[in-house]
Amino acid sequence: MFRPAPVPATLIDVERPLEPLWRGVVVYRVLTLVTVIGVSAFHMSDYASPLGAGLVLAVMTVWTAVLARGWLVGADERRGPLALADLAVSAGIMLTTPLIVTDAQLDASAPGMGSIWTSGAVLACAVAYRIPGGVVAAAVISAALVLAKSRATLTELNDIQILVLAGLTVGYASSVLRRAAERVRRAVAEEAAAAERERLARAVHDGVLQVLAHVGRRGAELGGAAAELGTLAGEQEVALRTLLTSGNAQVDAEGRRDLAATLRALASGRVTVSAPAHPIDLPAATVGELDAVVRAALANVERHVGADAPAWVLVEELDGAIEISVRDDGPGIPAGRLAEAEEQGRLGVARSMRGRVEELGGTLGLDTGPGRGTEWTIRIPARAEKCRESV
Amino acid sequence: MTVTVMVVDDHPIWREGVARDLGERGLEVVATAPDAGAAVRIAPAVRPQVVLMDLNLGETSGVDAIAGIVETLPDTKVLVLSASGEHADVLEALKAGATGYLVKSASAEELVDAVCRTAEGVPVFTPGLAGLVLGEYRRLAQRPAGEPAVPALTDRETEVLRLVAKGLTAKQIGERLVVSHRTVESHVQNTLRKLQLHNRSQLVRYALEQGLADD
Repeated sequence: MFRPAPVPATLIDVERPLEPLWRGVVVYRVLTLVTVIGVSAFHMSDYASPLGAGLVLAVMTVWTAVLARGWLVGADERRGPLALADLAVSAGIMLTTPLIVTDAQLDASAPGMGSIWTSGAVLACAVAYRIPGGVVAAAVISAALVLAKSRATLTELNDIQILVLAGLTVGYASSVLRRAAERVRRAVAEEAAAAERERLARAVHDGVLQVLAHVGRRGAELGGAAAELGTLAGEQEVALRTLLTSGNAQVDAEGRRDLAATLRALASGRVTVSAPAHPIDLPAATVGELDAVVRAALANVERHVGADAPAWVLVEELDGAIEISVRDDGPGIPAGRLAEAEEQGRLGVARSMRGRVEELGGTLGLDTGPGRGTEWTIRIPARAEKCRESV
Repeated sequence: MTVTVMVVDDHPIWREGVARDLGERGLEVVATAPDAGAAVRIAPAVRPQVVLMDLNLGETSGVDAIAGIVETLPDTKVLVLSASGEHADVLEALKAGATGYLVKSASAEELVDAVCRTAEGVPVFTPGLAGLVLGEYRRLAQRPAGEPAVPALTDRETEVLRLVAKGLTAKQIGERLVVSHRTVESHVQNTLRKLQLHNRSQLVRYALEQGLADD
């Protein structure tokens, strides 16, 4: 039975993969707030409005506290809007610069209001909205910066460059973390599903299946009405076993599916499916088409030979090709019957089967004759479909 | 001469039911066992001609039991009676030395017939089993060059196995290939023997490598 590789004890919190980034953003915001308060205190006496500067610093402090709460303990879905609000508030703080800082100070390379603290909004938007969010926020803060200082010297250009770079880097980190978390989540889910299936399989094997098999056999021996019950029990036994083992037939993370397990699911009281023990992994779409063709061939046996007529399916992996044979022991298709049906415009089973197989670049062969039964051979090339090495 | 049988299955209802079916039809059930350990312990004492073995024995594995029994009792044949879902296990059981495989949904007549054929040394091949063996030979053939020689099928053996996998009986195959059904059976037997020999030689090679590594 398929088992995904065990997942190492969580390197990342699968449900909330971005937590480390949010904590980092808070630390950055608090440190830059302290820096900005220090720098402003140094310039305070020269400001056009020291009172205004004090007011702006107070707003920054309160807003930093609001953000810290939102990033550390806030609900995930409120973080996006809060990041956008942060962008607006930060740009607003920056735009108070002309009211507080004098032209002379700006000429002497004094920073605008908020200065480095405002770049925290770029980081928050990048975490919340990945690279696009980071880049857009960097553009908004840059525009506010140039507008507020009404100049674009080397100092401002340098700041803009760093803002954009920070937006890109943190945005990238955010998307990588999300993808990694998604992968881990899927692997954990698959592992849990496989374990559950195995647990169920054990329980069912020990009880229900044994009883069904037993009823099936005793019923057949007793005959009459009991035989019918026995047949039903036997069919349910096969169906239940198939259900328990069909986990292998699911599409994996690379969009591939095991052809052998998929076709085994078609086995029933009258249909025998023979396949290798190892998986034959092919693109899921190809497996779906082949499954449909085999089903069509089996339906044809049921229609033309009889509802109870046995049929055999053989799946083989040859050198660079997959070959599937569907055979019955019926009377065979008389020569010319198929051609006749096609001529009369009755599309018939052959036409649709052949169409599907040719879509896959393969060929459909037919071997039939009176007393020889009917055998369809589906052969498709399996380019670069190397058999998976397993020991 | 009565064929002697040992039934190994972890489920009591099934074990007793099978034993009774066989007994009623003139076979002698000399022992039953619920797990691999008991099977390997009891088998040498009763020396059955055929061991009827389930592969899913609770916490223990039927494959281990088969290897143990075939090792100590070369004349005893093992017939796997198993659920249809355990393909990989069935293949391992064959490589370990079992000579046949029957699904549990088989009728009592089919079961008795299979046990008798197994006692005569004729492998009991279902189409599903032929598919597994074919797949295994193909897998071995695709391994990179440089590995020790892997067993390969002759063209005729491949042809016979494919026809078995497609549901033809030995008689039908004989008619198609214009040979006797005995010849067909001996081809089938050869495919199984080569696989078991390869498995044994691999185990020996592995043991030697481990032994050398320990020195």
